[in-house]
Amino acid sequence: MTCVRGLQRLKAALYLRRNTCSRSLTSGGVHHKDDMIVKIENPYKEPQKGCTLCNVTIDFKNIQLLSQFISPHTGRIYGRYITGLCGRKQKEISKAIKKAHAMGFMSVTHKHPQFMKDPNICGSKHLD
Amino acid sequence: MPRYELALILKAMQRPETAATLRRTVETLMERGAVVRNLENLGERLLPYKMTKHDQRHTRGTYFLIDFYSAPNILTGLLDHLHRDVDVVRPTVLRKDEQVRRSTCCGPQQ
Repeated sequence: MTCVRGLQRLKAALYLRRNTCSRSLTSGGVHHKDDMIVKIENPYKEPQKGCTLCNVTIDFKNIQLLSQFISPHTGRIYGRYITGLCGRKQKEISKAIKKAHAMGFMSVTHKHPQFMKDPNICGSKHLD
Repeated sequence: MPRYELALILKAMQRPETAATLRRTVETLMERGAVVRNLENLGERLLPYKMTKHDQRHTRGTYFLIDFYSAPNILTGLLDHLHRDVDVVRPTVLRKDEQVRRSTCCGPQQ
């Protein structure tokens, strides 16, 4: 029983192979223009998503914006894996926060209580 | 001439004294050949941390922002002068660069 089935499988495989060979011999010279593959841009392509601060100018005076990227308990700057910003914006934010610290605009060890109720941009979850 | 920004933190004082200090600062700037473009008052607020300057512990301060055009060689002299002023808590001079509009900023352009 099993050897019969095995023979049948072999036959089927050979038959298929024969067919493909015969197809290539006959269709070599004929090209139908209407079923040629036309190269177009991927129609299902999604628009490129930017980071949250894509078109936002970052200033050291805007401490409310800067405070959204620091920890409320320690005032530490969040890393890129938490903020989700692109390289350029993360660097700009980091530089602006350090500038604000040095110039006496923003606190170093904590977040201003006025900004504690701001919406959470970064994906950090604090157990309160 | 390059454009600079002076972020000035003054001691929490009464209005006439603050006005006198500002006047003194702007006159110093003009004497050294700077052209003052804009003067903004960011208000009197609690300082983010206590600052010690001129043997005094400061908790509150008035924030000012002075935009000016000047030659770069006067800046050290100016900062020296401001550090010596008793009413000034923290002077900082920053260079103001034109924001270059980059073509691609990792996302869709508006």
